[in-house]
Amino acid sequence: MAVVTKYLWGMKGTLLLTGRSIPFWGFSPVFFSVPQLPAPQIEAKTGDTVRIVLFNSFLNPSPIGESISILFPGQPDVMVREWPSGNFIFTEPQYSDGQLYSLTNDIATGGFAELKALEYSLIVNKPGVYLYESGTRSERQILMGMYGVIVVRPEGYDIPAHPDFKTAYGAGTMSEYDRENILILSEIDSNLNNQIDHGDDYDMSTYHPDCWLVNGRTFPATVEEPDQSSQPMGSIIRCNTGDKVLLRIVNAGFNAHTLQLGGLVAQLIAEDGVPLVHTGTDKSYQKTSVTLGAGQRVDLIITPTIPGEYYLFDREYHHLVNNDEFPGGMMTKLEVAAT
Amino acid sequence: MISIDLWVKEGYLSTPDGNSIYFWGFSEGEAAPAQLPGPRIICKQGEEVTVNLTNTLPEPVSLCFPGQTGVTVNGQPVQPQYVNGKLVSFTNHALIGETITYTFTAEYAGTFLYESGTNPHKQVLMGLYGGIVIHPADYDANMDKTAYGSDTDTAYDREYLLIVGEIDPDFHNAVKQGKPYSIKNYKPRYWTINGRCAPDTMLKNDIDYLPHQPYGSMIMCQPDEKVLIRYINAGVGSHPLHPHGNHTRVIALDGRLLRNGEFDRSYQRFTVSVNPGQTYDQIFQWKGLNYSSQNPIPTTIPNLRNMGIGDAGWTLWSGSPYLGEKADIPQSIQSLNEFGEYYFMLHSHSEPQLTNWGEFPGGLMTMIAIYSSLNENVGVL
Repeated sequence: MAVVTKYLWGMKGTLLLTGRSIPFWGFSPVFFSVPQLPAPQIEAKTGDTVRIVLFNSFLNPSPIGESISILFPGQPDVMVREWPSGNFIFTEPQYSDGQLYSLTNDIATGGFAELKALEYSLIVNKPGVYLYESGTRSERQILMGMYGVIVVRPEGYDIPAHPDFKTAYGAGTMSEYDRENILILSEIDSNLNNQIDHGDDYDMSTYHPDCWLVNGRTFPATVEEPDQSSQPMGSIIRCNTGDKVLLRIVNAGFNAHTLQLGGLVAQLIAEDGVPLVHTGTDKSYQKTSVTLGAGQRVDLIITPTIPGEYYLFDREYHHLVNNDEFPGGMMTKLEVAAT
Repeated sequence: MISIDLWVKEGYLSTPDGNSIYFWGFSEGEAAPAQLPGPRIICKQGEEVTVNLTNTLPEPVSLCFPGQTGVTVNGQPVQPQYVNGKLVSFTNHALIGETITYTFTAEYAGTFLYESGTNPHKQVLMGLYGGIVIHPADYDANMDKTAYGSDTDTAYDREYLLIVGEIDPDFHNAVKQGKPYSIKNYKPRYWTINGRCAPDTMLKNDIDYLPHQPYGSMIMCQPDEKVLIRYINAGVGSHPLHPHGNHTRVIALDGRLLRNGEFDRSYQRFTVSVNPGQTYDQIFQWKGLNYSSQNPIPTTIPNLRNMGIGDAGWTLWSGSPYLGEKADIPQSIQSLNEFGEYYFMLHSHSEPQLTNWGEFPGGLMTMIAIYSSLNENVGVL
């Protein structure tokens, strides 16, 4: 039962998407750096205490300029305190003059040299992939890019010979895997991002995305290697024939997306972090594509038998374009090598 | 072994509001017209299926068979195709004027989609899709029929295939004229079942004035019969479908049975959200509160004057509270009822989709007709 501590700065940054520079807001894991889309991945084991120290303006060259917070959907009993020495209390919605402005405790803007942070603390009791995302003015802060995932592993996932070894949900959940890839789906309306970042008047009802992303990138950047940019995650999937490939798909966007799995058939083993196989009951099922509503998650296993390349893509085909040109958008690739 | 020729061609769709829409479709051969959806591929589990695709369009065309295992071209597994390093097709394609042959073994029973894998944001939306129905290895049309084989609790009496889609006429026009079109502004005005908008959905198969839309979608059965309804969504939107006032039992998704050994994973739904590229097999049974030729319909029947639909004043009502019996209808109202059968809708619960370019009734709607007696050849694929 370790304590996992992560420091995050809410920060303005720039994305390179479909050949254009688009402003976004995100989280940076170190000060004086750049924010990331998706936000830095947090890894923990069941039973661990996850502590996230959130900075707003302190040592921040590109502060967002408004109050920020983090919400942890699917995690109960989240506590919060003023870092480093306040008393922990349960998080609760925040009101100003009786009007709700934040779904959880937030940290206001402050001075560059003003040492001020908010520390969230939660005990992650169940394995799975969980979203974390802005809880303050979420309609615009999530749209601007303030989301990431926490991956909670079962107790013995990294201990050879342990029954949990290389499983997503522990022994007896049919979640053994050889390869694991996380695919975070989302979309961006570049007009709204520009307007909000510039502080212009904007109208949420005009929301009309023009970039469709996997792990913060559009195809073909999705199949390029990881790097040190604000979009550090590639999403190419590589395996050998016969490998069990665990795909952990998260919809961090506002629209539903249907991910088609390259014509292959997958075994769905968990929905929203709840395993479908447990205590001897097998509720897993097979699909050629999966539809995820906003905020939903699914874990599935593909076991390719034929070497080659397979494309995984949003079956809403009008999302497979960059600037109206195919191929692009929400698409990545599975490369299967012969064993 | 079955062998099918699919020619990719252009054609024109008819909509009930009088529109004529340019589209791309598959046809059964050089002489046959393009059709929406493409010709049905009906085969038996274990059979080898060969599809010869001939391309008459001005760009490459390919075929994807999601859910089929081991699809090959010239004996090699299909692979994505690139030109100058740029992805063009998800599978091997036929160049302009070329013919290409795909082969696979129908390993699993179920309902599947086939569709273009080249410029799919354009070609699938233009109409290059169709359905595949694979009957189980032990299927016998004259014996007890099942969707997934004996001992799978999927017995049925009649089966129907409903493939839904959307049409944005501006997009089709832009493709026809070779003009640019911003696909992010895609906005359907028509919603189709088997390529037709209501009320054309209720017409029979092979109507001569709908040469490009050969498949009707009227569901016909007798009380208590098990009706297998196979939904395929070939479009890019979600369509919540249901038989009005009734539940269905969803038995399979994407052509895979919802059953793990003894554990029955099938479920009842009032409305099934039919999502892009996915298939849903359901068993539907109409029991109708003992409404029959002996027992009257157990509800108060509205005034006949209020039963005419639209300006023309037509009705599907028989005029009689007894199933299989026809009675008087006011003279000003035209009854389309044949033999005293009882009708109710099967439709999208996203009601704006029940329009043809904004006009109700239309779009993603058909009828279910309950007959007191019906020929056993109706509802056979």
